[in-house]
Amino acid sequence: MQSQFNIEQQLLAALAAGDRAATEQIYSQNYHIISGWLQKNGGTSADAADLFQEAMVVLFGKAQDEEFRLTCSIGTYLFAISKHLWYKKLQKQHREPVPLHENKGDDDEDTGIAYEDDINTHKEREAHYEQLDAALDQLGEPCRSILRAYYHHDKSMQEIAASFGYTNPENAKTQKYKCLARLRKIFYAGMD
Amino acid sequence: MSLSTNNIWELAEMYLAGSLSQESFTQLKARLATDSAFATEFYEATDLIRSATDSGKHKRFKNMLRDIHREQEKKETGSKKATKHVIFTPEFWRTASIAAGVAILTSTITIWSLKPSMRKNESRYNMISREVKGLQIAQAQQLQKQQQLEKNLDTKTRKGFAPTSDVMRTGTGFALSNNGYFVTAYHVLHDENGYGDSVYIQNHDGQYFKASLVTFNAETDVAIMKVEKSGFRFGKGDLPYSFAPAKAALGSHIFTLGYPTEDISYSEGYISARNGYDGNGMQYTLELPVGYGESGSPLIDSKGNVLGLLTAVGSQAEEKTYAVSAKAIMELLHKLPDEKSIKLPKASHIGRMNREQQISKMEAYTFAVKVYKK
Repeated sequence: MQSQFNIEQQLLAALAAGDRAATEQIYSQNYHIISGWLQKNGGTSADAADLFQEAMVVLFGKAQDEEFRLTCSIGTYLFAISKHLWYKKLQKQHREPVPLHENKGDDDEDTGIAYEDDINTHKEREAHYEQLDAALDQLGEPCRSILRAYYHHDKSMQEIAASFGYTNPENAKTQKYKCLARLRKIFYAGMD
Repeated sequence: MSLSTNNIWELAEMYLAGSLSQESFTQLKARLATDSAFATEFYEATDLIRSATDSGKHKRFKNMLRDIHREQEKKETGSKKATKHVIFTPEFWRTASIAAGVAILTSTITIWSLKPSMRKNESRYNMISREVKGLQIAQAQQLQKQQQLEKNLDTKTRKGFAPTSDVMRTGTGFALSNNGYFVTAYHVLHDENGYGDSVYIQNHDGQYFKASLVTFNAETDVAIMKVEKSGFRFGKGDLPYSFAPAKAALGSHIFTLGYPTEDISYSEGYISARNGYDGNGMQYTLELPVGYGESGSPLIDSKGNVLGLLTAVGSQAEEKTYAVSAKAIMELLHKLPDEKSIKLPKASHIGRMNREQQISKMEAYTFAVKVYKK
């Protein structure tokens, strides 16, 4: 299984970098398994899409950590995270009380807690990004668009200089720093 | 103090990118240890930049996931026998090596214009390209085998010459005049990874012909090349298509032929916006499904007029395709000193044909462009 293992590691590294081909491969290898399981457990196909994508985002977050990549089996991890996410959702909706550690076999207490931790970290991170987005929204123009172009759309300073009408990337960069300073004021003021 | 900059944000950026000099780094640490007001500000700056960077990365990843989901759904409703395993195609190498640090690209094409700057995250870039190598090896061996087969076939059955080094990039090209001049997208010949050592076209019969660059415009992404072989002809008769004199109307139905794989492939769609990426007036925006390797493919309307050539695909959630208008080709042609040796076709011969006939007439004039590097 050595080779399989290696490929998983490489896939995870490529996933962590946001590579599309790797993401597609992980997607197509796992989606049907999880979607099938979910539909046997009271979910719809729309639920499956949401759930699986959220599990992929958790995996993406974890895959940034090189050490995690060494020990992770993609299929097992995605399945476990999906299950936990789904049970959490059901609990929240009070549809039915579901024990979180249902399958003692492949999901013992310790790893169950580890998955919980990963999900909590993921939720905290999402909340943090939302706060940041809210702060960005409060910025005036051109700051909002410049920071979005740079951070969200991954444009280079050359491209930004060109599309925002700066004479050179250096000027655009100076403007970007001013915008960051403003963002910091709003963001950290909102924290209090 | 002799820090390389007084701007705390620039300093924070450099610190995070690991691009501070040893000396600046030492200075910075000393100041952080002694100046607590500075330290607070600096750590807030690094936290904010890190958060913004990570948040952007997550956003792009989520958009890509949604995109992949849509695509896979489409695939499944389209054909029941859709394979569930995505295989890393040779085209992936290119994506992978460029994509690396930068999620945006990861998405669909590598558009020169949409290309993220690699410098932004150089260390990450290096790391990833190395890691993906393992996957490439099997592909490379397979390709070599294939090239060997092609070469053997060649020596047996053809007079043509098959290049032996590795394919670096592939694209598509189409004839400008029957005597060997053709056009392709400039980024097929040159991108961040530089130029290759040689360029060959491979026609629909599988024959290779060496080509050289005549002129180009990197900004519009158009390159004019010529097949080197003397007396070369793409096909027997005149070119079947002509070049559109004016910009086509919004909603025009269009099709293209290109080489996303070794086989020529057909795709159709329509013009969805008069201008291209970021309002670029030299481009069209299209609803047209295309794949890697189709950069440089002709954009043809139903009457057999070439409207332009494919240059890029939008990334992430948007699935737009962009084409450079034929006007950019014309402008480039007019600048040539030997403009007269390129006799553009005057009229389309395929205007009244049905699509199958149009395609079969065009096949000889549309070919793969392969860039090799030793």
